[in-house]
Amino acid sequence: MININKLRKVYSDHNVALKDISAEMSSKITTIIGRNGAGKTTLLRILSTQLMPTSGKATIFDLDVVHDAREVRKRIVSIPQEASPMGILTPFEQVSMYLIGRGFSRNDARKAALDALDAVGLHDARNNPADTLSGGMKRKCFVAMALAANSDVVFLDEPTTGLDPISRLEVWSAIKKLAGNVVLTTHYMEEAETLSKEVFLVESGEIIDRGTVKSLLKEFGDKVRVESYKKMDNAFRVGTIYIKYVPKEQAPEFLSEGDNIRKISLDDLFIMRGVAIES
Amino acid sequence: MNLRFVLTFAWYYGFKVIKRGPSYVVASLTTPLTLLFVVYILTSGALVKYAVVGGMITLVASIGLQSAGDATFLRLQLRLQDLYVASRVSPTDYMLALTLSFLAFSVPGILVYITLGIAYHLYNILDSLIMLLLILLLILSTSAISFIISSMVKHVRNVWGIVSVLSIIMTVIPPTFYPYTDIMSRNGGNILIYLMSLSPATPAAIIAQFAFGLQPIVYSTLYTMVGILLVETIVYLTIARYLTRWREN
Repeated sequence: MININKLRKVYSDHNVALKDISAEMSSKITTIIGRNGAGKTTLLRILSTQLMPTSGKATIFDLDVVHDAREVRKRIVSIPQEASPMGILTPFEQVSMYLIGRGFSRNDARKAALDALDAVGLHDARNNPADTLSGGMKRKCFVAMALAANSDVVFLDEPTTGLDPISRLEVWSAIKKLAGNVVLTTHYMEEAETLSKEVFLVESGEIIDRGTVKSLLKEFGDKVRVESYKKMDNAFRVGTIYIKYVPKEQAPEFLSEGDNIRKISLDDLFIMRGVAIES
Repeated sequence: MNLRFVLTFAWYYGFKVIKRGPSYVVASLTTPLTLLFVVYILTSGALVKYAVVGGMITLVASIGLQSAGDATFLRLQLRLQDLYVASRVSPTDYMLALTLSFLAFSVPGILVYITLGIAYHLYNILDSLIMLLLILLLILSTSAISFIISSMVKHVRNVWGIVSVLSIIMTVIPPTFYPYTDIMSRNGGNILIYLMSLSPATPAAIIAQFAFGLQPIVYSTLYTMVGILLVETIVYLTIARYLTRWREN
């Protein structure tokens, strides 16, 4: 579905956002995970024809995102990070206007907009100005656009950033209803684990790991994470917290008052790769 | 061109916004109506017809220029432009859609000026058609200028100041509220009028002064101003089309 070959992006301020990355993405939902500034948004913006790469090539269904941009745009939907609806318009107006922009007839746009708003739980709020909606409802308005557009590929850039837990669950549920393949970025490990099978770990413009959640976590075996504010030997240090990975049965030996034992998650991959460690 | 999108966008972001946010329309009328009042008082009504004709030109041109604020806000703050880049909407569709929305904002103000024009016996059918054409060219050219500005601005906050200054320089200083001959009769007036013609409001105001019988027609000046208005509309639109950062580098 998506092929990326030695893609590089250097901004005018000489910041190298992507360092010749290569990847293939073909899962129903693919997650690109990484910290702020890792290069996730740059990658997504290049794939969704919003930003020119400096070098390299990316194709979607064999269509080049640079040279075949017009054809690519017919097959994708891209919801930008921190996109916000026009406050004075209602969700119904925004979704139907977007669909008409995508070539829907007025009647088809109206029907698809109503169905999508219903599917994401915005039916009752469909005629309220967006200014009166909560943050979660505003995000769902954009998911409704993606849902109604029924495109082959949907790019979602940090779709749940800043949402409360319930709103996040609602957006996840809406994302799972999308018909096409989904590529989303997030820095929430839980989101990646819940939504997708294929995960790409991005750090400093490079893909540092990739695979299914299960395969990525395989290296931890039966270990658990022990966290302590007291110094531990051979431990990772993140801020003032010391982290150590130990077999589950040995964990109690490391516990003292105020310490925690946690189940392994994708967070731990970043810690193991050293990217979250502060000196 | 995706005309259905252009019209839908203008309907929602133009006419519906008038209904839901009328303060914007009132605000856009404040400057030309205030100047109309000042001109009326200072000239004991002698130049009030200039202010009625020029007020409509100022209104349309200033709404077109102030749209830079909206275009920048939609691009940088709401990320709306990014949303439409990754769709079938072309940069021309998007520009036309916004321009038509801004024209829609102008409609209530235009109605106010039409009422004033009727009260001062200024309009006949031919004059009205000329004014309609001038309004269309003005909104196209000033919106194009606003797109050029909005594509260069990197922070939303900067655009408001730029737009306020430009709006005054490009719509109030040109001969919109006074006879254009007051400039031409001065030393260097010819040069000054051509400099002022960088603002589409200048040729539009001079053409309107001829059309509404406020000044005797000087054909050489009329043709020159028609030419300037047409050429600068095309030039501003072309620059805007190529400067609009549809896909960023």
